[in-house]
Amino acid sequence: MLDEWSSNILQHDPMRMYRAKRDSTRRTVSSKYHILGFISSGTYGRVYKAQSNDDDGKIHAIKKFKPDKEGDVITYTGISQSAIREIALNREIEHENVVALKEVILEDKAIYMVFDYAEHDFLQVIHHHSQTIRTQIHVAMLKSLTYQLLNGLVYLHSCHILHRDLKPANILITSSGVVKIGDLGLARLIYQPLQPLFAGDKVVVTIWYRAPELLMGAKHYNKAIDCWAVGCVMAELAQCRPIFKGEEAKLDSKKNVPFQRDQLLKILDILGTPKESDWPGIVDMPEYQNVKRLDLFSGQLAQWCRVRLPGQQLGYDLLNKLFQYDPDKRLTARAALNHPWFEEDPKPTWNAFQSIPAHQIPPPRRITQDDAPSMVPMASQQPHQGHAQVSAFQSQSKPGSSASFASLSGGGGPYGGQGGNGNGAGRKKARMG
Amino acid sequence: MATDFWASSHHKRWIVDRATLKQARADDVQYVDDPEYLDFLSIYFADLISKLGKKLSLRQRVIATATVFFKRFYLKNHYCETDPFIVIAACCYVAAKAEESPIHIKNVVAEARSLFSQDIYGIKTFPSDNSKLAEMEFYLVDDLECDLTVFHPYRSLLTLCRKEGDHDEETEAGELGVGIGGDEGPRYWGSGDGQLQLKEGALQTAWFIINDTYRSDICLLYPPHVIAIAAIYLTFILDGNARATVTPLLQSSESSSPDLPQPRRSSRQASHADASKKVQDPIDFLAGLNVSFPLVATIAQDIIALYKRWERYKEDEKPSPLGSLSAGMKRSLSHSNAGTPREASVGTDAIVTPGFLSSLLLKIREARWTDIAHPGSGRPVAVNKMLERAQAVG
Repeated sequence: MLDEWSSNILQHDPMRMYRAKRDSTRRTVSSKYHILGFISSGTYGRVYKAQSNDDDGKIHAIKKFKPDKEGDVITYTGISQSAIREIALNREIEHENVVALKEVILEDKAIYMVFDYAEHDFLQVIHHHSQTIRTQIHVAMLKSLTYQLLNGLVYLHSCHILHRDLKPANILITSSGVVKIGDLGLARLIYQPLQPLFAGDKVVVTIWYRAPELLMGAKHYNKAIDCWAVGCVMAELAQCRPIFKGEEAKLDSKKNVPFQRDQLLKILDILGTPKESDWPGIVDMPEYQNVKRLDLFSGQLAQWCRVRLPGQQLGYDLLNKLFQYDPDKRLTARAALNHPWFEEDPKPTWNAFQSIPAHQIPPPRRITQDDAPSMVPMASQQPHQGHAQVSAFQSQSKPGSSASFASLSGGGGPYGGQGGNGNGAGRKKARMG
Repeated sequence: MATDFWASSHHKRWIVDRATLKQARADDVQYVDDPEYLDFLSIYFADLISKLGKKLSLRQRVIATATVFFKRFYLKNHYCETDPFIVIAACCYVAAKAEESPIHIKNVVAEARSLFSQDIYGIKTFPSDNSKLAEMEFYLVDDLECDLTVFHPYRSLLTLCRKEGDHDEETEAGELGVGIGGDEGPRYWGSGDGQLQLKEGALQTAWFIINDTYRSDICLLYPPHVIAIAAIYLTFILDGNARATVTPLLQSSESSSPDLPQPRRSSRQASHADASKKVQDPIDFLAGLNVSFPLVATIAQDIIALYKRWERYKEDEKPSPLGSLSAGMKRSLSHSNAGTPREASVGTDAIVTPGFLSSLLLKIREARWTDIAHPGSGRPVAVNKMLERAQAVG
């Protein structure tokens, strides 16, 4: 017979034996990796640079999801939908141009996703060119980056995955110039969904990269939203600043999605007012009446490209086709990959840095030391860090907030938030201004 | 990934063989008088997951995913060392998220508590604290190795078959032409083109047979598309109308046995010659699929064995634990099996109830606890029990 103590345990904590067994066999993050420093933080948690304790000593980026807190006590409140997504999708995919998940470690109520490390990202390249060397991104590099981005996107789309948050901060580049699409936290499978997509997430894609059908309140959307975002990213590489830099109208107190007037005006200004003949479906868009009330624009993308993509007639053509208002007419990722611009010299290369002088390669990712101790459980939040997180909290899709582990924004460095020195602060300022 | 089973974690890591299954239950089997009880537990657990899922308004695919999670968890763990009820709740909770139709944790806790405490189950110890379920979720995801994308035979069924007279692609609402056209999902197993036309009732039957397979280990043993084909094959035996469409095609064979209609090449080819082009020959269609038919037959046998076992699983209060359709299928099944010799003794016909299985689970957990607390006295008892059984058998 069982003694009282045992039957009490079986009654009230029957999984005790199981947990003890699991906890004793689990290898901890600190036993497998040496934390080199802190990279960035966002709504999801923080990202660290770490070195494997294995013989290979490989460098990784470890994304630590914030453990939930009830008061001061860290407790289990359920894994977020976003973490489940990112984990589930990353476990299934494998592609040269998509950041690789090495493993997931669940330890002490926190989730750690261990990714291959990437030294750079698109945002950092853009910043390096606009702030430090003050030149345009060389067309060979621009083309290689766009090509590899599309190549990764073709793979994701062939897996029926929508990324839903493509932006420069989420697109990484390794030190050998290979593009890696990162941050699948908003991504999801669209193959035979049990519920319409909009039912799950009211707002997707950071405002500057959000496709017109989303801005106009479409209930149904598809892969074309990612292709629009690629167009925005390509244009941003070309001029080293966002092409459609609108102000986001915030959700009201009832969480209704407002009409994104400013963002649409920014688009209309460059692409012209959409005609019903170009996009028959526009009349069915929930915000159609609002759009009709906006001023009329004639469009000037060709002019825009003459300055930013000089001599790249085919580059203009690609951009123009990625910026089709009608999602059904917009170039698919595969069609974009096969665009003649990529056949024309300079041809895209698998090392995006191949043809550019060394000084044009952006500096290594900045990491900081003093945040590293928070890798250990019971994180002691540092004041300035707390500040950065508060600002990131306001909106998940805030353009400057970091979402991928690559991003420098939101926590560019220990003093980034205080407007001192350093890339992070400077870039952030440039963005906000 | 969504369409490529062969590149999936499901295919690479979670299709196991029978030896692995047996090994997974090696500890549990020491504590039960009859190893068959473990098979009944499969029915019992799947039934509970399905009931909890329905209370939470989960779609069938979510329930199926939850069931697969549960089975994968117990490939690595023992009934005798865990509390399967909290695992069930965690599986439903994670599956809802993995299938993009999340539910609130407190609903899961409330519904699980109310379901498990029903008299027929008698489990009154389910924790009321959300964090206990969240804790289990955490360990569950770890044990699942974060492989949360599961393939199910339903999709294969709808890709292979369509309702008679229905030419639309069977897809779920919500997407307009987004990568769900039939042509985008590669027919990696098929050599034939087109789809098998089934009457609506037959398609339903096949769908329900697939539902039923989750009450066994079939989903751990075989790729989902082969399970779908086995379900279609059984539909032509169990569904009266569907059967009527193939019976004439089989008639010319020397000794047609409707119980186990192995598609006979000779007869099929003969009838094929006569058949008008307009009438689809289902046997031809199935034969044209690029799958192993011995494997399909094995799965069909597994499903039939499940039905025989299931007949003996009875909830006290209701006459039949199954939906009317399943009951009907079981009837037709026992008819078709009337000719086979029944080796069953009285003992193997004994009824097993959920209440019995609930107390069995508690008993084996206590026994395990005792064994671990007192290794000297505990182990030999369990070993002796196995020995006794071995001696009794032969």
